[in-house]
Amino acid sequence: MGQDMGQIVGAFTASHSPGITGFPERAEPAQRAAVEGAFADVRNRITELRPDAIIAVSVEHFTNFFLGNLPAFAIGTAGSYLGPVTAEMGAFLGVDQHDYPGHAALGAHLYRHALESEFDPALVEGGLAFDENFCVPLKHLDPDSTIPLVPVIVNGVNPPWPTAKRCYDFGRMIRSAVEAQTAAQRVVVLGTGGLSHWVGMPESGTINEDFDRDFLDRLASGDPRRLTDYTQDQIDVAGNGAHEIRTWLVAAGAAGVAFDTLVYEPVPAWLTGTAVTAARL
Amino acid sequence: MYDLQKLLWDVRKDLDLAQRFRADPDTVLDEYGIAGTERTAMRSLDFKTLYDRGANPYLLYFCALQIGVDRTEYYARLRGEIS
Repeated sequence: MGQDMGQIVGAFTASHSPGITGFPERAEPAQRAAVEGAFADVRNRITELRPDAIIAVSVEHFTNFFLGNLPAFAIGTAGSYLGPVTAEMGAFLGVDQHDYPGHAALGAHLYRHALESEFDPALVEGGLAFDENFCVPLKHLDPDSTIPLVPVIVNGVNPPWPTAKRCYDFGRMIRSAVEAQTAAQRVVVLGTGGLSHWVGMPESGTINEDFDRDFLDRLASGDPRRLTDYTQDQIDVAGNGAHEIRTWLVAAGAAGVAFDTLVYEPVPAWLTGTAVTAARL
Repeated sequence: MYDLQKLLWDVRKDLDLAQRFRADPDTVLDEYGIAGTERTAMRSLDFKTLYDRGANPYLLYFCALQIGVDRTEYYARLRGEIS
């Protein structure tokens, strides 16, 4: 690898429950403090890493895509992204609606590299708006929206879903893409979503702490075989929202190392097993 | 089910449609070609039946909020505690 080629200098994952920014006060104070402390830790680490871009991997909750055309994976190549999608959602999330900068050159490279690597994501050149997927974690991690983004969307909201292995391998492809370009030399990967939660389902409000802790244990092992050893049914036991762990598997594939759990709190008031992790890079 | 889910999605994105649905559900249900059990359920906000028939829970929940059903009522209806 030449001196000027890009590299992944950091990788992080975080939950994106609307409560984290929209109604943090409903959580137990100690839980809120622990979660916000972990976000602050990651914010500081990202600042120190001086990234040229963040490849931000999440789902989207029918904000842009619908069952008439639902990509398993999509890559944004735009120069900017509106978020939250409406002012009403902004009020709900506690995030003022604004434009987030996009890293168009890195996005276009990633899309091309994906195709040449025999992945077939959807291309999104513009019009992609954010919901809690990115707006919630980025409020903590890049509050002034200064770091250009390449959004990657994984279907985590409607079955059938891409397999765990496919998600991990998509992440490995992201790493090879970053290392094959010079437009962005220092790249951070951020995966957002999960852990256990149920949205719009009778079980809503339940948290599957056993599932969450086991997943974090697998993430801490850095063992791809364990990380990808999930059937759809095995994720279903932690709720429809748990399918968002696919975004963490993408981040894990991109990092290729173990992740430390910076915080895990089952927060009923946010309806979510809430965690933040950092790759040992 | 596609037509029903399309209505759920459109309502979420279009407040005018949401208000038209509340004021005159039959006209909107006609426009979307929704009939039978799904029509009856949607008309009476019977989210449990729609959920049991496979409606995506995100779409169902977001539509409910947009037509003025709050979170507590949505989950009560979903669990069959209100019908």
